[in-house]
Amino acid sequence: METLHATFYLMLRCLRETIRQPAIEIGNIFIPLFFFFVTVGAIGQVTGRAFGVDNYEGFQLPIAILQGVAATCSSSGLGMTTDIERGYFDKLMLSPAPRLALVLGRLAADAVRVMAFTTVIVAVGIIAGSGMEAGVLGFIAVILIAGLFGLAYSGIGLSIALRTGSAQASQLGFLLFFPLIFISPALAPKEVFSGWLEFLATINPVTYVVEGTRSLILEGWDWEALAYALLSIAGFAAVTLSLTLAALRRRTA
Amino acid sequence: MPAIFAEALTKHFPPDIEAVNGIDLSIPEGQIFGFLGPNGSGKTTTVRMLTTLLRPTSGRAEVSGLDVARDAAKVRKQIGVALQEAGLDDIQTGRELLHLQARLYGVPSARIKSRVDYLIGIVDLEDAADRWVKTYSGGMKRRLDLAAALVHEPKVVFLDEPTTGLDPIGREVIWRYVKQLNEREGVTIFLTTQYMEEADRLADDVAILDRGRIVAEGSPQELKASIGADVVTVRVPGGAGQAARAEEALRQLDGATDIRSVEDSVVIYIKEGSAAIAGIVLRLSEASIPVEEVTLARPTLDDVFLQKTGHHIESGEQPPLPVYSGKQ
Repeated sequence: METLHATFYLMLRCLRETIRQPAIEIGNIFIPLFFFFVTVGAIGQVTGRAFGVDNYEGFQLPIAILQGVAATCSSSGLGMTTDIERGYFDKLMLSPAPRLALVLGRLAADAVRVMAFTTVIVAVGIIAGSGMEAGVLGFIAVILIAGLFGLAYSGIGLSIALRTGSAQASQLGFLLFFPLIFISPALAPKEVFSGWLEFLATINPVTYVVEGTRSLILEGWDWEALAYALLSIAGFAAVTLSLTLAALRRRTA
Repeated sequence: MPAIFAEALTKHFPPDIEAVNGIDLSIPEGQIFGFLGPNGSGKTTTVRMLTTLLRPTSGRAEVSGLDVARDAAKVRKQIGVALQEAGLDDIQTGRELLHLQARLYGVPSARIKSRVDYLIGIVDLEDAADRWVKTYSGGMKRRLDLAAALVHEPKVVFLDEPTTGLDPIGREVIWRYVKQLNEREGVTIFLTTQYMEEADRLADDVAILDRGRIVAEGSPQELKASIGADVVTVRVPGGAGQAARAEEALRQLDGATDIRSVEDSVVIYIKEGSAAIAGIVLRLSEASIPVEEVTLARPTLDDVFLQKTGHHIESGEQPPLPVYSGKQ
């Protein structure tokens, strides 16, 4: 109960920061949409003939969403290191609030931010012609998947921030974004990949998040694809969030 | 039961930094206790252990009868803390920061507004309360930090170098708040400082810390009286070597209780210092040691520190004006 109470108020504080520094957040929406439009504009006309994807807007939309999630959540570690460097984190640790809430507050705020930005990105995608085969509930499901993936992704930056207290190191989350997203069927279905890339994509958990989200947009309710997506997120989150909790324990020991 | 108690409190950082080396404390309720020492003497490390941010390597400490290691969560409810370099969040307003602080300390919702308004008034931040902390001056940040430490009406407050980096006016303001807090609300205050004047003005009792150990403890008056003499400082040209020669020349001076050379000066502790100055200068002149400056002062806590450790507290404070200066 105490944890929930403190988490709620710490989440509000993080969200207030977001609203007060909109310039940082605009990039989190603008950059994924920029890539979405130039990619679709560049090869959208030939993907049907090249690898049998006629609706390339729908094919690309999950990439824009996940790119937005990664960018949004990468700044979370930065926020944490700012608190640590300024000494505000010490002030929070001195309070009787359960220490888990110091991390949960930020994670909850990340999930809210991610879901808000994803709503914008998906809405723009639909207007651009991506469609949403799974309908309104599918739209909601896409946003929830993005929120959950955001929780898992924030764990990268937060664990590094808590372990090192270094702003630069916590940006690693943003660097990891390139291999994680582009070693997945981001630009084309993995069936057309070279053998080595197909292998890497198969073991990359983000691949299943991409495919699950894509199934909602292009096909409707494919329960198997969704189950794989959720399992991948759960596995990914288990790793990053345990690292975060371990780093929190170490810092507060 | 003492408000703050420590027994053989020790913190070592690997590989071989002995930050705090067996400190004993017993601070009664309602006292302002000054923890005086130069940078790196272990003041902050001690505060971080007493406030549950750091686990002691060995020894133990209690605040309000609660063990800081075993009952850390309970200790945190009892204490208010303002750490060095006021740790604040730039993009909240002062009022928002205090509200959040009150929420985290579990102040009942119905009381938060009146408590926050009251504190803002106490630290004179009415005009700035709704501006972002980013826009605050150093002194305003310290005042807000002090208010943040008090949202839950703690009985014991830790202030780690509350005035470092402030100008003299800002320092006076903080001193006034600290005095008021102690006198009106009976709050026990543990204050670290590198300014002997601060310890002298505020503290009922002082512990002087050097290299992780307490080297002297008592009321400022007692400590200064323990020197039992005036302090004559003679600065000589030619650095430490010349100062050592001067120390030698003055060795057999009548009435001197202690003589030591520090950097380019000789410090002589002597009864009736004003009468002794002529004799001191004469002796130095006989030994062909020129004199650059002679200062006469009542003993300060820095002299206590000097006597115990052989070096000054580097505080950057102005020394008293010289009674004679060879440069004039």
